[in-house]
Amino acid sequence: MTIDWLAFLQVFLAALVGAVVVVGFYALGLRLLATSGNIPVVAPAQFTDAITVVSPKRIAKAEKAAAKAAAKNPLSEGQKRLALIAAYACFVICALAVVAGILLIVLG
Amino acid sequence: METAALVVALVIALALFFDFTNGFHDTANAMATPIATGALKPKTAVALAAILNLVGAFLSTEVAKTISGGIIREDQISGAIFPSLIFAGLIGAITWNMLTWLLGLPSSSSHALFGGLIGATIVGLGVHGIDFGVVMSKVVLPALLAPLTAGLIAFAATKLAYAVTRRYDGKPDGRDGFRWGQIFTSSLVALAHGTNDAQKTMGIITLALIAVGWQNHPEPELWVILSAAAAIALGTYVGGWRIIRTLGKGLTDVKPTQGFAAESSTAATILASSHLGFALSTTQVASGSVIGSGLGRRGSEVRWRTVGRIFVGWLLTLPAAGLVGALAALLVVWSRNAGLGVTGVIIDAVVAVFAIVFMFLRSARNQVHAGNAMSEVAASGHAVNIDDNPPPTPRQQRKLEEQERRKAAAKAAAAKKADAKKAAKKGNVK
Repeated sequence: MTIDWLAFLQVFLAALVGAVVVVGFYALGLRLLATSGNIPVVAPAQFTDAITVVSPKRIAKAEKAAAKAAAKNPLSEGQKRLALIAAYACFVICALAVVAGILLIVLG
Repeated sequence: METAALVVALVIALALFFDFTNGFHDTANAMATPIATGALKPKTAVALAAILNLVGAFLSTEVAKTISGGIIREDQISGAIFPSLIFAGLIGAITWNMLTWLLGLPSSSSHALFGGLIGATIVGLGVHGIDFGVVMSKVVLPALLAPLTAGLIAFAATKLAYAVTRRYDGKPDGRDGFRWGQIFTSSLVALAHGTNDAQKTMGIITLALIAVGWQNHPEPELWVILSAAAAIALGTYVGGWRIIRTLGKGLTDVKPTQGFAAESSTAATILASSHLGFALSTTQVASGSVIGSGLGRRGSEVRWRTVGRIFVGWLLTLPAAGLVGALAALLVVWSRNAGLGVTGVIIDAVVAVFAIVFMFLRSARNQVHAGNAMSEVAASGHAVNIDDNPPPTPRQQRKLEEQERRKAAAKAAAAKKADAKKAAKKGNVK
């Protein structure tokens, strides 16, 4: 009975790298998006009673807070634009990582 | 030959039905979180999951090959009896699934399938019919290690996601954006589900085809892939409605950030495992991720009792389904030895039909209450207790201490000033 222990390590490392790249870059993208003054406010598409329901009032409040924070943002316009571009770059890296992973499986 | 064809047809029908129930049952794994956090509308989520399960089934056939060309020693198979044994194994799996489902025990349809197949083969062909090396390295060890792997990765990913988006200046942190991200990660989970779970059915059908000599390579035929993919997609689509109705009755508190990290880890672990032909239980991997990501949040602690209960349910599945499969196989072998031909298979089929009809009648009754409404994955979130007021991060701690120090210094300075004033006043009076 031979067990390929290396295969388990491979799975662990591959999954770790994949998850960390996707999560890390997505989080970084959101952070940069927030830095650039475009704070994402995403209202739940449909409410279930299981989670904290976000009322339209609260969404409006969050949007107002976001706008206020953006107004207070001491970054210059150029810096903001740079942050926005960097944020989109992060999201693109995320998408590419996923596509690359799937290609590896299909072709490998 | 005719009876062999009949038995193979029965195996294919039952295997596809098993695939259907698998999709039916497991949609919640992929789609419970985005629906619960409000990232997706339930209708969209279910349709998306069905399509991606279909696509996933075509991506990789490694897991199918593990089943059709690894676990059972084909050279030991005597063509006449083996399809009946596969049938018995399937009946074992379905019966055990139904039992756990009615009793509300945590289970895994994949392990039930392996258990049933192994149990039936041992009874019919003896222990030498099973390649235990492959069973250990491709089924048992991945079953133990994959949830742990997913949990560790989810823990790291959650910590990372929170650390990167944490802001100390009190401005909005944009974590709401993880809701968008969840649309993609849950889609990936559905895709991964297709690469692992649909494969099991393909493997079983291919195994039956090999046993009767209609095929001589472990690679599944295109029509097998197509029908298995369609069955799981259909099951996902149909089952989704039931889950949506039950959803929202009691889900654990999963924040978008945490859900995103958990789903990324689940998808990454399943996809990597599928590529190496590890036949996993997707439910168990997803549960591992939910627990791991819960622990990645500040102020969380494990409820070991809940973890223990989940774990025992997992351990029980393989031998229990094996026992049921072995009993069904015993009937097949007995009727064959008694000269009754396929009577055993027919009895098994009748029992299976009864079990399935019973299951449908039971599910049609719609007993939806807090106890059974939760998907297993969501239920595993209860294994982690999260403090509503988490302790501060080291940086927040330092900031707090700094504030305290400043306050104390200001107070001391004020006291000193007051003292000096008092002293001066006293001096003036003198």
